[in-house]
Amino acid sequence: MTAKASLAVVAALAIFFAALAGLGMPKPSADLPQLGTLIAPLPEGPAKGVADRACLNCHSGDVLRQQRLTEKQWTANVTKMIGWGAEVPEDRREELVRYLAKNFGPGNVAFRPVAVSPIRANR
Amino acid sequence: MKVVSGDLAPLTRRKFIGMGAVTLASTALGLPRPERRLLQMNAYAPDAETPLDLLTTYITPNDLFFVRHHWNATAPDPRTWKLTVDGEVALPLELSLADLKRFPRTTVTCVLQCAGNGRSLYTPPVPGIQWRYGAVGNARWTGAKVRDLLAKAGVKGTAKHLHTAGTDDPPSKTPPFHRSLEIVKALEDAIVAWEMNGEPLPPLHGAPARLVVPGWAGDHWMKWLAKLSPQPDPEKGFYMDVGYRYPAKPGEPGVTFKPEEMRPITELFVKSNITGAPARARVGSPATIRGVAFSGAPDIAKVELTDDDGKNWKTADLGREHDPYAWRLWSLPWTPKSPGKVRLAARATDSRGSVQPREAVWNQSGYLWNGWHSVEIEVTA
Repeated sequence: MTAKASLAVVAALAIFFAALAGLGMPKPSADLPQLGTLIAPLPEGPAKGVADRACLNCHSGDVLRQQRLTEKQWTANVTKMIGWGAEVPEDRREELVRYLAKNFGPGNVAFRPVAVSPIRANR
Repeated sequence: MKVVSGDLAPLTRRKFIGMGAVTLASTALGLPRPERRLLQMNAYAPDAETPLDLLTTYITPNDLFFVRHHWNATAPDPRTWKLTVDGEVALPLELSLADLKRFPRTTVTCVLQCAGNGRSLYTPPVPGIQWRYGAVGNARWTGAKVRDLLAKAGVKGTAKHLHTAGTDDPPSKTPPFHRSLEIVKALEDAIVAWEMNGEPLPPLHGAPARLVVPGWAGDHWMKWLAKLSPQPDPEKGFYMDVGYRYPAKPGEPGVTFKPEEMRPITELFVKSNITGAPARARVGSPATIRGVAFSGAPDIAKVELTDDDGKNWKTADLGREHDPYAWRLWSLPWTPKSPGKVRLAARATDSRGSVQPREAVWNQSGYLWNGWHSVEIEVTA
């Protein structure tokens, strides 16, 4: 292909894609973050500090933020996790359950998983 | 929280043209533009599922395959890693990766699905990772047959259960993920795999070697495998006696059972998903609906679609590619008859006659969801 023909092809493509953009075609997205690079904080509240210390050593807040559990279910889960080593001061335990049930109760539909990059082979 | 920016990253011309081609192809089919990505369910320990619109190929690529961890694990050094075979055997073994690779090489193509895939779809909600549809994939697993390893060790007739353990240590007082499965199944078709889709098994998938149990849920597929130990009795502990159990006789939604009223999960339930359908269609213009179907039975007998809530069903074409316990791709040209919102639902039937139910059977841990999968399509005149 001559240089002139190449230019013509590039120009045609440019016009074509500009036309597509004008038609409201989906735009290419930004590069996606990698799995594990987006760490969402837990919501504010009186027991946030207790939840941070008790829960986030072993797993991210994603696990909490996606739950829709009753106070009874949260009580059972907090008991289970304390048995597995979560550090919750005895006098803050009920407060923690109330915080979890308030923020991540049956009506919690706010969680959306973030889109992340495919996993590179060396990870 | 870091915010995912919607701004455009700098693009090379090649990348721009490549994306244009993908856009064109997708638009021609009336499909959304596929974007290679995973959905993060847990930043750490890493849990991520594959979006349904990417589960459109017979083989799920390694980089798009869902990942699931109980805790932050460290992959062992393949140079020093050993697989111990002990228990009810005449000759205990300690195998390096090189030793393992000297056994006859075998490849199986089959589905790996997390026991909790679809948990978020149960009502009332249950605790655990709220997987939707994508904690599942189909891959070629290459390794050595468990049967050959146990034969070399001289497994005894007293062995009824194969105990398995990985190198990953749990944090704090969390119980270890120690498991067992019936030795009959392990001897039938389980393998110790060191390759996934022709590449060395990736660390997040259990490198250097993991167990592959065709047709059975992912909790049996021990990653970072360190021990195979045939024993007379099942393994004990939280992940056998409490976790990964399903009611012997399930009750109404919300009814919970004691562990002794439940059994360990084994085979997958028959299931199909719609992975490609247009958001909009025109009366009289055929649109292609695509999907995957799989089961704990070796094959899928048929996949059907309904656009009238199950009154009438049309049988889909099954894909040519097929292996025992692998998924089948399926497709069906569907022509809308009248305008309005239409709900299309798919159901699969497996080679043993099990039919995917309208509603999955609620269970307290949210395992093995397999209700009809449906999509809504806006039909215009």
